[in-house]
Amino acid sequence: MAESLKSNGYQMVAYVPDEVADRLLQLLHRDGALTMVSATREEEALAILCGGFLGGKKGVLVMQGSGLGNSINALCGLAIGYQIPFLMVISERGRLGEFNSVQVPLGRAAPRIFEALGVQAFWINHPEEIAPIVEGATKLAFGGGLPVALILSTALSGGKTWR
Amino acid sequence: MTRLEAFQRLLPLLGRAAVLANLGKNTYDLFAAGHRPENFYTWGAMGTVSSVGLGLALARPDLRVVVLDGDGSLLMNLGSLATIAALRPSNLVHIVCDTQTYETTGGQASHTAVAADLAAIGRGAGLSHVEAVVDLDALAQAVRRGLAEPGPWLIVARMEGTATTASKVPRRPIYDKYRFMEAIGSTGR
Repeated sequence: MAESLKSNGYQMVAYVPDEVADRLLQLLHRDGALTMVSATREEEALAILCGGFLGGKKGVLVMQGSGLGNSINALCGLAIGYQIPFLMVISERGRLGEFNSVQVPLGRAAPRIFEALGVQAFWINHPEEIAPIVEGATKLAFGGGLPVALILSTALSGGKTWR
Repeated sequence: MTRLEAFQRLLPLLGRAAVLANLGKNTYDLFAAGHRPENFYTWGAMGTVSSVGLGLALARPDLRVVVLDGDGSLLMNLGSLATIAALRPSNLVHIVCDTQTYETTGGQASHTAVAADLAAIGRGAGLSHVEAVVDLDALAQAVRRGLAEPGPWLIVARMEGTATTASKVPRRPIYDKYRFMEAIGSTGR
Protein backbone atom coordinates (compact mmCIF):
# COMPACT_ATOMS: atom_id res chain seq x y z
CA MET A 1 0.00 0.00 0.00
CA ALA A 2 2.79 2.45 0.86
CA GLU A 3 4.52 1.73 -2.46
CA SER A 4 1.25 2.10 -4.37
CA LEU A 5 0.44 5.43 -2.72
CA LYS A 6 3.89 6.79 -3.54
CA SER A 7 3.86 5.56 -7.13
CA ASN A 8 0.45 7.17 -7.66
CA GLY A 9 1.81 10.58 -6.72
CA TYR A 10 0.35 11.19 -3.28
CA GLN A 11 2.12 13.96 -1.40
CA MET A 12 0.14 14.55 1.78
CA VAL A 13 -1.21 12.06 4.32
CA ALA A 14 -3.59 13.11 7.09
CA TYR A 15 -4.58 10.50 9.60
CA VAL A 16 -5.82 9.57 13.00
CA PRO A 17 -3.59 6.85 14.45
CA ASP A 18 -4.88 3.32 13.94
CA GLU A 19 -3.56 -0.09 14.84
CA VAL A 20 -4.28 -1.73 11.50
CA ALA A 21 -2.79 1.14 9.48
CA ASP A 22 0.10 1.74 11.87
CA ARG A 23 2.68 -0.10 9.76
CA LEU A 24 1.52 1.71 6.63
CA LEU A 25 1.83 5.07 8.40
CA GLN A 26 5.29 4.16 9.68
CA LEU A 27 6.44 3.31 6.15
CA LEU A 28 5.01 6.55 4.78
CA HIS A 29 6.65 8.54 7.60
CA ARG A 30 9.99 6.87 6.92
CA ASP A 31 9.81 7.84 3.25
CA GLY A 32 10.42 11.45 4.26
CA ALA A 33 9.02 12.90 1.03
CA LEU A 34 5.42 13.00 2.19
CA THR A 35 3.77 15.66 4.34
CA MET A 36 2.41 13.62 7.26
CA VAL A 37 -0.25 15.18 9.50
CA SER A 38 -1.54 13.45 12.60
CA ALA A 39 -4.94 15.02 13.29
CA THR A 40 -7.01 14.96 16.46
CA ARG A 41 -10.15 13.88 14.64
CA GLU A 42 -11.06 12.49 11.24
CA GLU A 43 -13.12 15.53 10.23
CA GLU A 44 -10.06 17.67 10.86
CA ALA A 45 -7.84 15.32 8.83
CA LEU A 46 -10.27 15.49 5.93
CA ALA A 47 -10.33 19.30 6.02
CA ILE A 48 -6.52 19.41 6.08
CA LEU A 49 -6.46 17.37 2.86
CA CYS A 50 -9.01 19.72 1.30
CA GLY A 51 -6.67 22.61 2.09
CA GLY A 52 -3.78 20.59 0.70
CA PHE A 53 -5.69 20.03 -2.54
CA LEU A 54 -6.37 23.78 -2.85
CA GLY A 55 -2.59 24.10 -2.61
CA GLY A 56 -2.08 21.52 -5.36
CA LYS A 57 -1.24 18.42 -3.28
CA LYS A 58 -2.73 14.96 -3.73
CA GLY A 59 -3.85 13.62 -0.39
CA VAL A 60 -4.71 10.41 1.41
CA LEU A 61 -6.87 10.16 4.52
CA VAL A 62 -6.01 7.16 6.69
CA MET A 63 -8.39 6.22 9.48
CA GLN A 64 -10.32 3.38 11.00
CA GLY A 65 -13.94 2.78 10.10
CA SER A 66 -15.36 4.57 13.11
CA GLY A 67 -13.76 7.77 11.81
CA LEU A 68 -16.16 7.76 8.90
CA GLY A 69 -18.87 8.86 11.31
CA ASN A 70 -16.71 11.70 12.59
CA SER A 71 -15.96 12.98 9.11
CA ILE A 72 -19.35 13.07 7.42
CA ASN A 73 -20.21 16.77 7.67
CA ALA A 74 -16.84 17.82 6.28
CA LEU A 75 -17.11 15.11 3.63
CA CYS A 76 -20.38 16.71 2.53
CA GLY A 77 -19.76 20.42 3.14
CA LEU A 78 -16.20 20.52 1.81
CA ALA A 79 -15.18 17.51 -0.25
CA ILE A 80 -18.39 16.74 -2.10
CA GLY A 81 -19.76 20.28 -2.01
CA TYR A 82 -16.60 21.74 -3.58
CA GLN A 83 -15.68 18.62 -5.60
CA ILE A 84 -12.36 18.13 -3.85
CA PRO A 85 -10.81 14.72 -4.50
CA PHE A 86 -8.62 12.58 -2.25
CA LEU A 87 -8.24 8.94 -1.34
CA MET A 88 -9.64 7.52 1.89
CA VAL A 89 -7.92 4.41 3.21
CA ILE A 90 -10.15 2.98 5.91
CA SER A 91 -9.47 -0.01 8.10
CA GLU A 92 -12.67 -1.87 8.61
CA ARG A 93 -14.33 -2.09 12.02
CA GLY A 94 -17.59 -3.67 13.08
CA ARG A 95 -17.56 -6.36 10.41
CA LEU A 96 -16.17 -9.92 10.19
CA GLY A 97 -14.23 -10.73 13.35
CA GLU A 98 -15.29 -7.67 15.37
CA PHE A 99 -15.02 -8.23 19.12
CA ASN A 100 -16.35 -4.88 20.35
CA SER A 101 -20.15 -4.60 20.24
CA VAL A 102 -20.20 -0.82 20.11
CA GLN A 103 -18.08 -0.82 16.93
CA VAL A 104 -20.71 -2.88 15.14
CA PRO A 105 -23.42 -0.26 14.47
CA LEU A 106 -21.24 2.04 12.35
CA GLY A 107 -19.49 -0.87 10.65
CA ARG A 108 -22.85 -2.31 9.72
CA ALA A 109 -24.06 1.06 8.43
CA ALA A 110 -20.88 2.02 6.55
CA PRO A 111 -21.73 0.48 3.14
CA ARG A 112 -25.08 2.26 3.11
CA ILE A 113 -23.51 5.51 4.32
CA PHE A 114 -21.17 5.44 1.32
CA GLU A 115 -24.09 4.63 -0.94
CA ALA A 116 -26.24 7.42 0.51
CA LEU A 117 -23.42 9.94 0.08
CA GLY A 118 -22.66 8.81 -3.46
CA VAL A 119 -19.08 8.07 -2.44
CA GLN A 120 -17.63 5.14 -4.36
CA ALA A 121 -16.05 2.58 -2.01
CA PHE A 122 -13.97 -0.45 -2.88
CA TRP A 123 -13.16 -3.28 -0.48
CA ILE A 124 -9.69 -4.77 -0.61
CA ASN A 125 -9.62 -8.41 0.50
CA HIS A 126 -6.35 -9.72 -0.97
CA PRO A 127 -2.85 -8.17 -1.07
CA GLU A 128 -2.57 -8.57 -4.84
CA GLU A 129 -5.59 -6.29 -5.28
CA ILE A 130 -3.87 -3.34 -3.61
CA ALA A 131 -1.81 -2.01 -6.52
CA PRO A 132 -4.55 -2.13 -9.19
CA ILE A 133 -7.23 -0.79 -6.86
CA VAL A 134 -5.09 2.13 -5.63
CA GLU A 135 -4.22 2.99 -9.23
CA GLY A 136 -7.83 2.75 -10.39
CA ALA A 137 -9.18 4.63 -7.38
CA THR A 138 -6.64 7.41 -7.89
CA LYS A 139 -7.72 7.89 -11.50
CA LEU A 140 -11.36 7.78 -10.44
CA ALA A 141 -10.95 10.27 -7.58
CA PHE A 142 -8.85 12.84 -9.43
CA GLY A 143 -10.55 12.32 -12.76
CA GLY A 144 -13.99 12.52 -11.21
CA GLY A 145 -13.17 15.29 -8.75
CA LEU A 146 -14.53 13.47 -5.71
CA PRO A 147 -13.16 11.43 -2.81
CA VAL A 148 -12.98 7.66 -3.21
CA ALA A 149 -12.86 5.20 -0.31
CA LEU A 150 -10.74 2.07 -0.09
CA ILE A 151 -11.65 -0.26 2.74
CA LEU A 152 -9.00 -2.56 4.13
CA SER A 153 -11.20 -5.52 5.03
CA THR A 154 -10.60 -7.54 8.15
CA ALA A 155 -9.92 -10.49 5.81
CA LEU A 156 -6.93 -8.53 4.44
CA SER A 157 -5.63 -7.04 7.66
CA GLY A 158 -6.66 -9.59 10.29
CA GLY A 159 -8.55 -6.78 11.99
CA LYS A 160 -7.85 -4.96 15.21
CA THR A 161 -6.64 -6.94 18.18
CA TRP A 162 -7.72 -6.45 21.76
CA ARG A 163 -5.27 -4.23 23.64
CA MET B 1 -14.86 47.33 16.09
CA THR B 2 -17.29 45.42 13.93
CA ARG B 3 -16.19 42.52 11.79
CA LEU B 4 -16.87 44.47 8.59
CA GLU B 5 -14.72 47.36 9.83
CA ALA B 6 -12.02 44.87 10.78
CA PHE B 7 -12.01 43.24 7.34
CA GLN B 8 -12.02 46.63 5.59
CA ARG B 9 -8.97 47.58 7.66
CA LEU B 10 -7.18 44.28 7.03
CA LEU B 11 -7.70 43.83 3.28
CA PRO B 12 -5.16 46.47 2.16
CA LEU B 13 -2.53 44.81 4.38
CA LEU B 14 -2.89 41.36 2.86
CA GLY B 15 -1.18 41.70 -0.52
CA ARG B 16 -1.59 38.42 -2.40
CA ALA B 17 -2.12 36.33 0.74
CA ALA B 18 -4.67 33.53 0.48
CA VAL B 19 -7.66 34.24 2.73
CA LEU B 20 -10.04 31.50 3.86
CA ALA B 21 -13.31 32.67 5.40
CA ASN B 22 -15.37 30.72 7.88
CA LEU B 23 -18.93 29.93 6.86
CA GLY B 24 -21.62 32.50 7.59
CA LYS B 25 -20.84 36.05 8.55
CA ASN B 26 -17.09 35.85 7.90
CA THR B 27 -17.79 34.83 4.32
CA TYR B 28 -20.44 37.56 3.92
CA ASP B 29 -18.32 40.31 5.46
CA LEU B 30 -15.17 39.31 3.57
CA PHE B 31 -17.08 39.57 0.30
CA ALA B 32 -18.64 42.88 1.40
CA ALA B 33 -15.28 44.29 2.47
CA GLY B 34 -13.76 43.44 -0.87
CA HIS B 35 -13.81 40.47 -3.19
CA ARG B 36 -10.41 39.40 -4.49
CA PRO B 37 -9.50 36.22 -6.36
CA GLU B 38 -7.37 35.03 -3.45
CA ASN B 39 -10.47 34.85 -1.20
CA PHE B 40 -11.96 31.43 -0.52
CA TYR B 41 -15.51 31.46 0.84
CA THR B 42 -16.82 28.48 2.79
CA TRP B 43 -20.50 27.66 3.10
CA GLY B 44 -20.58 24.57 5.29
CA ALA B 45 -18.51 22.08 7.29
CA MET B 46 -18.60 24.39 10.32
CA GLY B 47 -15.45 24.30 12.40
CA THR B 48 -13.11 23.07 9.70
CA VAL B 49 -11.75 26.31 8.20
CA SER B 50 -8.70 26.34 10.50
CA SER B 51 -7.85 22.84 9.27
CA VAL B 52 -8.32 23.80 5.62
CA GLY B 53 -5.91 26.66 6.34
CA LEU B 54 -3.40 24.29 7.92
CA GLY B 55 -3.51 21.98 4.89
CA LEU B 56 -3.06 24.87 2.48
CA ALA B 57 -0.24 26.36 4.55
CA LEU B 58 1.59 23.01 4.58
CA ALA B 59 1.03 22.47 0.86
CA ARG B 60 2.18 25.97 -0.08
CA PRO B 61 4.98 27.18 2.20
CA ASP B 62 5.66 29.96 -0.32
CA LEU B 63 2.25 31.53 0.40
CA ARG B 64 0.88 33.43 3.42
CA VAL B 65 -2.38 31.80 4.46
CA VAL B 66 -4.85 33.85 6.49
CA VAL B 67 -7.80 32.09 8.13
CA LEU B 68 -10.80 34.17 9.23
CA ASP B 69 -12.41 31.92 11.84
CA GLY B 70 -15.33 32.38 14.22
CA ASP B 71 -15.56 31.69 17.94
CA GLY B 72 -18.37 29.17 17.60
CA SER B 73 -16.57 27.43 14.78
CA LEU B 74 -13.23 27.22 16.55
CA LEU B 75 -14.98 25.86 19.64
CA MET B 76 -16.12 23.01 17.37
CA ASN B 77 -12.55 22.20 16.32
CA LEU B 78 -10.28 23.10 19.24
CA GLY B 79 -8.17 20.09 18.31
CA SER B 80 -7.01 21.98 15.24
CA LEU B 81 -5.06 24.34 17.52
CA ALA B 82 -3.11 21.39 18.89
CA THR B 83 -2.46 20.09 15.38
CA ILE B 84 -1.31 23.53 14.15
CA ALA B 85 0.98 23.82 17.18
CA ALA B 86 2.45 20.39 16.44
CA LEU B 87 3.03 21.04 12.71
CA ARG B 88 4.13 24.68 13.17
CA PRO B 89 3.46 26.06 9.67
CA SER B 90 5.32 29.39 9.77
CA ASN B 91 3.09 30.91 7.06
CA LEU B 92 -0.28 30.51 8.79
CA VAL B 93 -2.12 33.46 10.32
CA HIS B 94 -5.24 32.28 12.13
CA ILE B 95 -7.55 35.16 13.05
CA VAL B 96 -10.58 34.45 15.22
CA CYS B 97 -13.39 36.98 14.97
CA ASP B 98 -14.70 36.49 18.48
CA THR B 99 -18.19 37.98 18.56
CA GLN B 100 -19.23 35.72 21.45
CA THR B 101 -22.29 34.67 19.51
CA TYR B 102 -23.60 32.20 16.96
CA GLU B 103 -24.68 34.94 14.58
CA THR B 104 -26.19 33.11 11.64
CA THR B 105 -28.40 31.00 13.87
CA GLY B 106 -29.93 33.96 15.70
CA GLY B 107 -27.28 35.47 17.93
CA GLN B 108 -27.19 32.88 20.69
CA ALA B 109 -24.29 33.29 23.12
CA SER B 110 -21.20 31.14 22.60
CA HIS B 111 -19.07 29.96 25.50
CA THR B 112 -16.59 32.80 24.90
CA ALA B 113 -19.34 35.09 26.23
CA VAL B 114 -19.24 33.18 29.49
CA ALA B 115 -15.85 31.76 30.33
CA ALA B 116 -13.85 30.33 27.42
CA ASP B 117 -10.66 32.23 26.48
CA LEU B 118 -9.57 31.16 23.00
CA ALA B 119 -6.16 32.85 23.24
CA ALA B 120 -5.43 30.97 26.46
CA ILE B 121 -6.63 27.74 24.84
CA GLY B 122 -4.29 28.45 21.93
CA ARG B 123 -1.35 28.89 24.30
CA GLY B 124 -2.38 25.75 26.10
CA ALA B 125 -2.48 23.89 22.79
CA GLY B 126 1.18 24.79 22.35
CA LEU B 127 1.05 27.89 20.16
CA SER B 128 3.68 30.46 21.04
CA HIS B 129 2.62 33.42 18.84
CA VAL B 130 -0.75 34.34 20.28
CA GLU B 131 -2.29 37.82 20.41
CA ALA B 132 -5.58 38.92 21.93
CA VAL B 133 -6.83 42.27 20.62
CA VAL B 134 -9.94 44.38 21.09
CA ASP B 135 -9.50 47.36 18.75
CA LEU B 136 -8.75 48.04 15.09
CA ASP B 137 -5.25 49.45 15.56
CA ALA B 138 -4.12 46.53 17.68
CA LEU B 139 -5.65 44.08 15.21
CA ALA B 140 -3.92 45.73 12.24
CA GLN B 141 -0.62 45.73 14.12
CA ALA B 142 -0.95 42.06 15.04
CA VAL B 143 -1.84 41.09 11.47
CA ARG B 144 1.06 43.09 10.04
CA ARG B 145 3.34 41.16 12.36
CA GLY B 146 1.66 37.88 11.44
CA LEU B 147 2.22 38.56 7.76
CA ALA B 148 5.85 39.57 8.22
CA GLU B 149 7.20 37.26 10.92
CA PRO B 150 7.28 33.47 11.10
CA GLY B 151 4.27 31.88 12.82
CA PRO B 152 1.99 30.10 13.14
CA TRP B 153 0.04 33.04 14.56
CA LEU B 154 -3.22 32.95 16.46
CA ILE B 155 -4.91 36.35 16.72
CA VAL B 156 -8.09 36.41 18.78
CA ALA B 157 -9.96 39.62 18.06
CA ARG B 158 -12.91 40.53 20.24
CA MET B 159 -15.40 42.34 18.00
CA GLU B 160 -19.03 43.01 17.28
CA GLY B 161 -21.04 41.14 14.73
CA THR B 162 -22.78 42.69 11.75
CA ALA B 163 -26.12 42.55 9.99
CA THR B 164 -24.52 41.63 6.64
CA THR B 165 -26.54 38.95 4.87
CA ALA B 166 -25.68 36.32 2.30
CA SER B 167 -27.94 37.91 -0.27
CA LYS B 168 -25.20 39.66 -2.27
CA VAL B 169 -22.59 36.90 -2.00
CA PRO B 170 -22.50 34.57 -5.01
CA ARG B 171 -22.92 31.03 -3.69
CA ARG B 172 -20.94 29.02 -6.24
CA PRO B 173 -18.47 26.81 -4.39
CA ILE B 174 -17.12 24.80 -7.31
CA TYR B 175 -16.44 27.84 -9.48
CA ASP B 176 -14.85 29.55 -6.46
CA LYS B 177 -12.56 26.60 -5.89
CA TYR B 178 -11.14 26.76 -9.42
CA ARG B 179 -10.91 30.57 -9.34
CA PHE B 180 -9.10 30.51 -5.98
CA MET B 181 -6.68 27.78 -7.04
CA GLU B 182 -5.84 29.65 -10.24
CA ALA B 183 -5.31 32.88 -8.27
CA ILE B 184 -2.82 31.26 -5.91
CA GLY B 185 -1.10 29.32 -8.69
CA SER B 186 -2.18 25.77 -7.81
CA THR B 187 -2.61 23.25 -10.56
CA GLY B 188 -4.87 20.81 -8.71
CA ARG B 189 -3.24 17.67 -10.11
